[in-house]
Amino acid sequence: MKKVVSLKEAIGIINDGDMVSFGGNVLHRAPMAAVREIARQHKRNLRIVKTAGAQDVDLLCAMDCVQSVDAGFISYETKYGLAAHYRKGVQEGRIKGNEHACYTVICALRGAAMNVPFMPVKGLNAGDLLLKNDYFVVVEDPFGGEPVTLVKSLMPDVAVIHVQECDIKGNSIIHGPKFEDILISRAAKKVIVTTEQIVPESKTRLNAERVDIPGFLVNAVVHVPNGAAPAACYRKYEVDDQSLSAFIAMKTKEEIQEYLKGYETKDYVGERMAGRIW
Amino acid sequence: MVNTDYRISDIMTCAIANMLRDGETVFHGVSSHLPMVAMMLAKSLHAPDLVHLNIPGGVNPGSIHKSSYSSAGSDLLASAESYFPLEQVFDLSMRGKLDVAFLGGIQFDIDGNINASVIGDYHKPKVRLPGGAGSAVLIPTAKKAIIWRTKHDKRTFVENVDFVTTRGNLWRIVTPLCVFEFRNGKLHLESIHPNSSLDEVRENTGFELLYDEIKYTEPPSKQELTMLKKIDPHDYRSIEF
Repeated sequence: MKKVVSLKEAIGIINDGDMVSFGGNVLHRAPMAAVREIARQHKRNLRIVKTAGAQDVDLLCAMDCVQSVDAGFISYETKYGLAAHYRKGVQEGRIKGNEHACYTVICALRGAAMNVPFMPVKGLNAGDLLLKNDYFVVVEDPFGGEPVTLVKSLMPDVAVIHVQECDIKGNSIIHGPKFEDILISRAAKKVIVTTEQIVPESKTRLNAERVDIPGFLVNAVVHVPNGAAPAACYRKYEVDDQSLSAFIAMKTKEEIQEYLKGYETKDYVGERMAGRIW
Repeated sequence: MVNTDYRISDIMTCAIANMLRDGETVFHGVSSHLPMVAMMLAKSLHAPDLVHLNIPGGVNPGSIHKSSYSSAGSDLLASAESYFPLEQVFDLSMRGKLDVAFLGGIQFDIDGNINASVIGDYHKPKVRLPGGAGSAVLIPTAKKAIIWRTKHDKRTFVENVDFVTTRGNLWRIVTPLCVFEFRNGKLHLESIHPNSSLDEVRENTGFELLYDEIKYTEPPSKQELTMLKKIDPHDYRSIEF
């Protein structure tokens, strides 16, 4: 089966109502080209899972693609301020903000990777997060110790991860911080990889132990240079300050639609290159 | 008299640095430039064997010069000595081996409750805040949690928080006016910064001030200010001001 597909085809894998988890962290290596395509395809009622998100979550909230967000932190960093569209959606009751500690997202994904319905979590033993959320339950330790908090597993239908290098089979190498991407790739039912570069299989074979996501877990590979922009991508580019600042200043869906249109050529450029080479 | 040798961000950074001991394992998260600089300062002066942990997983970054817009960027790994990613930092804390965690928050009360979640009702909030990130598991499990907040007013230090995101091993809260210490289940005024006064702290705090004696925070030393220029030449410690 041919895994290298267009961005449109890859995002076509995602259904309305799916649980979707994004790679990267806040302003770093978020799969932004894929996120923009999700918005262009008007996906609805997505249930987003991420330890700490920023423009990925905020943009989809702005475009009414989101039903719920399970996360520990949703905000840009200090310099760029708060995630206005996410906040507004939650405050108006359109989006369910399921607050976690970042670690309980990690544990919920570990549960999914092991295919168990819940995971015990240490640490979360006080406060209102326990009382207000049905995905945390405190139980007696069946082996007789202290009470244990359980977090319900989060099994994403689709993981979307942007990497620096991937071959046509989907074998992916992440340079720099991997954040929770390896875990997400194991927890999700399907994996979409967008990549800065499609590298020859001979190259991944030479570095087999460096492969972070083995190709057999990957359902679609899309060649998208600058696919994390305006987030940063280690060894490739820094944050695109102009684009990010412009987005943060936007208030209406119309403005954001224009913003998405402005990225179309860039987001689809890799497909033509990939078509030529492969 | 206004002292022009140092600013509030310098006082807070140095005060925090002086809370850190040599050899401790210390973690900071996202949007955390001020504690990140404080950790580098401590490591450069009295705590060379402090272990600097962070979200991208760079253990003991050699430099923070490139951390302009993010305290969770790849630059911290690029200059590090080894890789120890976030999920392992959490696991470390669960095993009781994280000495200090730096965390934020929006509201605090005298009982040491911390709110980083919502103002108003959790399910239909008046204000949805960014969320506690690691707080809800790190504040109960790290040996000492230090909170810094660049605002000190009656909306921040309140009688009762709107929502208890977490509570636990809170040790200190550092503000532009003072340092609070959490002991015997209550926040106590530990020291007043040289730029502030007891009256100013009282006027801006929504709960009764508890203290045994009035102490003042040590002002930044010449050595500290010189070192700050070297490790933080772009003044990231002031980004929140």
